[in-house]
Amino acid sequence: MAARRTSFGKDTGLQARMLLTMFLLGLVYAAFVGVLFAVGAGAGVIIVVAVVLLLLQLFTSDKLAMATMGVKEVSPAQEPELHGIIERLCVQADLPKPRVCVMETPMPNAFAMGRSQKSTTVCATRGILDMLSPPELEGVMAHELTHVINRDVMVMTLASFFATLASLILQFSFFFGGGFGNREEESDLEIVVLVSVIVYAVSFLLLRALSRYREFAADRGSAVLTGRPSALASALLKISGTIERVPAQDLRTAEGLSAFFIVPARAKKSLLNLFADHPPLEQRLAALQRLEAQLQGTA
Amino acid sequence: MGLRDILTGRRSVKGPAPDKLFAISTAYVTLETEHQIMPSGTAAIVFQALATSDFESTLKDMEGVVTATGGDTGTTVSTQDDSYGYRWMILRSPADKPCVEDLAVGINAVSGSIETAGYGDRLLCAVFAFDDRSGPGGAAGSAPGRASRVYFIYNYKRGFWYPFVPARADGGAQTDSEQARSTERELQIKAQIGSELPIEPELERWFPLWGIPI
Repeated sequence: MAARRTSFGKDTGLQARMLLTMFLLGLVYAAFVGVLFAVGAGAGVIIVVAVVLLLLQLFTSDKLAMATMGVKEVSPAQEPELHGIIERLCVQADLPKPRVCVMETPMPNAFAMGRSQKSTTVCATRGILDMLSPPELEGVMAHELTHVINRDVMVMTLASFFATLASLILQFSFFFGGGFGNREEESDLEIVVLVSVIVYAVSFLLLRALSRYREFAADRGSAVLTGRPSALASALLKISGTIERVPAQDLRTAEGLSAFFIVPARAKKSLLNLFADHPPLEQRLAALQRLEAQLQGTA
Repeated sequence: MGLRDILTGRRSVKGPAPDKLFAISTAYVTLETEHQIMPSGTAAIVFQALATSDFESTLKDMEGVVTATGGDTGTTVSTQDDSYGYRWMILRSPADKPCVEDLAVGINAVSGSIETAGYGDRLLCAVFAFDDRSGPGGAAGSAPGRASRVYFIYNYKRGFWYPFVPARADGGAQTDSEQARSTERELQIKAQIGSELPIEPELERWFPLWGIPI
């Protein structure tokens, strides 16, 4: 076989869908901002509040989540194998080493947090450390590190900015609705509320789609990084086999972080894939199998 | 990484940086003569072994080439997988005359053929083992104790070197079960070697490698 420049093919389709989703999100948001400005009154205050919230979310959410979920940092002496795996992946990915944390729960899962490459935390649960073999764990950690490389926390937080704004306006309008007295302002308020509802609904669906595409991208990144797509596939199979049998308490506390988990922490299956923030397992496995076929040169 | 890569989450693994591997073949002279850090005569290269027939045949060809060229200098080659699933190719020069140049040439032949086959992005590090005889227990000390191991690690992604010194548990044998390293000694060595070796400027990228088989 002739010398190849890369072991894996391109993922043009996935990139195109991701860009289209972002474009549509941008379109919805632009229309939203247009309406807010056209109406004028009160919108400025809400935007300021939303910006402050956004910054708070970006800079404190990881610490808050860590504090509420009982995640604790582990030293290399405590978790030599996990640290070893992550260090080698960092060499391979040319990344600074993130903080390594463990969450003491039997639920097998892993996630990454932090807004930039310099301030990142990757976390694995006790359940996943016990369950997976080293190559499988490596695949999962490479998936999380790819989220870091792709700056997914930042992208998703920024992408959801206007959805947050819309939901804020809705909440405000329920509290202060009709308090203005002036008939003209009241009709303006109705327009804003109506638009906010639409913005919220549409951006919710688009955000979920974006989140699914970024999961595919992270799976792909993991395969490229480790050169072992099938190890990640095996890990996903193992994890998903047990995730539905874990106690409900763990699931409830974990719900808030679901977007950054490697598999969603939910007991019941979603009726519609449209509302899911992770792609269905079969699709992820199929994508990983395509990558393995490319690697073996049989695709 | 550009904005487009962030937006679409594109990933490709970085290939090797411009090669500064051969810096070791001059730097070791200073280490040996001025700082009593002696070459142990072993070096290794670590990479991800892809489980594909194409990659395996590349390795087989390469091992043949390295063994053949090593025959003149007496360098032997062996292969070993570690517990993390990475493959080590270990080069040993004959015990009576450890030769860092020969080892560097051998390591370069291995990395060169992996790159030529299109798998350059799978290369992780090259490691050269040295014996540190400068402290107590070495030549300078009174009791003839064991010299401690010093590794010089070359990171292919970055094109930089850094020292790695696994710590000894209080006077006992060097072990990596505790994964302790002597950062103090590493920094001393960095200062001693000065500008002779391109040293990784970011300390947080001095990644330890545990379970080095040499």
